[in-house]
Amino acid sequence: MSDTLADGVGLHVIEQFVDAEQQRHAGQLGMWAWLVTELLLFAGLFLVATVLRVQYPESVHLAVSHLKFWIGATNTGVLIVSSLTMSGAIQASRLGLQRLTVYCMYATAALGTLFILLKLYEWYDDIVEHMAPWLNQPYELAFDKPSTLFTNLYWVTTGLHGLHLTTGVTILMVLALQARAEGYLSRHQNRIEVFGLYWHFIDLIWIIVFPMLYVIGR
Amino acid sequence: MTYAAQRDAHVPHATIDAPKDYLHITHTVKSWLLSTDHKRIGILYLISITGFFFIGAVAAGLLRLSLVVPDGSIFTNDTYNKLFTIHGVVMVWFFLIPSIPATFGNFLLPIMIGAKDLAFPRLNTTSWYVFMTGALFAMLSVLFGGIDTGWTFYAPLSTAFSNTYVSLALVGVIIVGFSSILTGLNFIVTVHTMRAPGMTWFRMPIFVWTMYAVSMIFLLATPVITMALILLVMERTFKIGVFDPALGGDPVLFEHLFWFYSHPAVYIMVLPGMGVISEIVPAFARKRLFGYKFVAYASIGLATITFFVWGHHMFVNGQSDYASVTFSFLSFAVAVPSAVKVYNWTATIHKGTLVLDTPMLYAMGYIGLFVIGGLTGLFLATLAIDEHVHDTYFVVAHFHYIMVGGTVLAFLGGLHYWWPKFTGRMYNEAWGRVSAVLMFIGFNVTFFPQFILGYLGMPRRYHVYPAEFQLMNIMSSAGATILAFAYVFPFVYLLYSLWFGKKAPDNPWDAKGLEWMTTSPPPLHNFIKPPVVDFEAYDYEAKVPEA
Repeated sequence: MSDTLADGVGLHVIEQFVDAEQQRHAGQLGMWAWLVTELLLFAGLFLVATVLRVQYPESVHLAVSHLKFWIGATNTGVLIVSSLTMSGAIQASRLGLQRLTVYCMYATAALGTLFILLKLYEWYDDIVEHMAPWLNQPYELAFDKPSTLFTNLYWVTTGLHGLHLTTGVTILMVLALQARAEGYLSRHQNRIEVFGLYWHFIDLIWIIVFPMLYVIGR
Repeated sequence: MTYAAQRDAHVPHATIDAPKDYLHITHTVKSWLLSTDHKRIGILYLISITGFFFIGAVAAGLLRLSLVVPDGSIFTNDTYNKLFTIHGVVMVWFFLIPSIPATFGNFLLPIMIGAKDLAFPRLNTTSWYVFMTGALFAMLSVLFGGIDTGWTFYAPLSTAFSNTYVSLALVGVIIVGFSSILTGLNFIVTVHTMRAPGMTWFRMPIFVWTMYAVSMIFLLATPVITMALILLVMERTFKIGVFDPALGGDPVLFEHLFWFYSHPAVYIMVLPGMGVISEIVPAFARKRLFGYKFVAYASIGLATITFFVWGHHMFVNGQSDYASVTFSFLSFAVAVPSAVKVYNWTATIHKGTLVLDTPMLYAMGYIGLFVIGGLTGLFLATLAIDEHVHDTYFVVAHFHYIMVGGTVLAFLGGLHYWWPKFTGRMYNEAWGRVSAVLMFIGFNVTFFPQFILGYLGMPRRYHVYPAEFQLMNIMSSAGATILAFAYVFPFVYLLYSLWFGKKAPDNPWDAKGLEWMTTSPPPLHNFIKPPVVDFEAYDYEAKVPEA
């Protein structure tokens, strides 16, 4: 790995590991393995979306045209920038710049929160426009039954992604508060690296979800 | 509560081993429930899955009782449906899938590669709590009155028609999936990063290879069924329609997603058994495992091919002929790595110095039953024959030969083989041999007639059947009685050995491998001195140079 660390940056070796290198490697490989499972979890939804698009192209087009493209697009931008600030946090932590690390983490959490707020507003709008067939209320496209499936899938997918993002922001805030402690980077720098993988991954999932739901066949 | 705590209360300290081993380092219940020691977590899993095994076994016993008479007069149809669902759900998700990986895998994997613990010990503890939480949900659904969908939860039966506690059971199964994922993740990271100096990939015991292969399946397959079952719960709760034909949804899509996990899950159950047999056979034939690298690659091969055969569960549900032919061909391909393993075990036995102790008797039973189960699998992979025997007792017999004849025999064989290591005690060898033979006989009497029944056309999941099938059914139920004894005996004499068994030496079988180089039971961090590996796996013929 190219991630050379500044002096005094590293980790406190816990008992089951032989040395810091082994522990760093294990932590990062563990997160990668977890992300593989996450990818396959979402892959189930991607498959269902593909099946629906093949089976009912007209109905899917109808449903897609009712989604809020510009909110989705803005949110895509927000998440990409948040990945940038997260990379900043990781790079700063490697260089031992503790304050910069924490500020970058705050910025990342703020952008994540912005995404969630925009998403909540979008969901609210969807409900007002009767685009939530799973709620027991009138449905805008009731004349086209198969569009129900895609609209519901939109809710499940963005809901699951939102859940991951909320979890991410929560963990990030805890980490950021911990990272203010004296000497944090000399003991737990790896936690920031490992969390960074997760954060980039949520970003990546959204980059697949956005075209899958909002863009194709718009 | 725990074996250790119970055992300790009865045996004076002076007569038991040095108080440094993992069982004696602390004694409180809390020290077990909050333990991050992989060995204690393995034991916690062992106790839990033994409990679930007996729940599933009682359900099976009631099923066999019901099938003694052809008119279905013993239970109502609903009760029968609930019984076979409980049997399937509990045995598949709460016994077979965690059986060998979560117990022996947890206990042995770090020891076999010379590590102090798994890479993430706290995650390991968490996985047990996740498992028990999932089990709680599933058991609640049983207590509230049971579920009647079969273990496969096929839509639209599970989404639109069943009015039992399906969602509750589904949540249980979803949660249990996460415990598998966490265990698999832990194993993969441990194998990659924590091998002792000198422990190269091709010095690892085959058991570790199979654990690695299984972990891959855990990581790649489990999330897909998690998603499928989440969609199923959503379907029941919010009518989202993905699998509901009334809204344009596709129930066959559920079968695809379900079998994309559940076929690989067969290898989650079978591969660890193969790993156990690959340890036992060389130890009792006193020979190096024949074709070590082939067996290792065959494990990875099985774990790979298994992802491309799920359609063979769906030959008669309307999928295209081209898909069926492809899946049929790929299913035949599974036979190749399976046969590689069987031939290598038999070649290991060939001209070996056989010692027919209990673990070896189980292992030889395993090889025989696995061959029958595997060959009948080829029948089922053949499209024309599958048309005839699909959803009959032929299928039931086939997968029981693999799951029980394979996995359960391997589980019991492994339990006897490593029991001295787990507990520091020897069991009664005579009772062990009797149980192993009884198991083989009882199993065949129970399940062989089912091949014939299925071939003659008796469908699965019905308890009313034509009177001419009664004789075979009575034979099968009688066999189940023998089988019950073969399960109860080990339970009794193994428990008995905890208090009254002879103290086990460190290496009672004179076997090779790092687990036999530490004490019985091992100390907290497995080895008194960190091991350095300068020998090959299965080094039974050390004096004779390898050809």
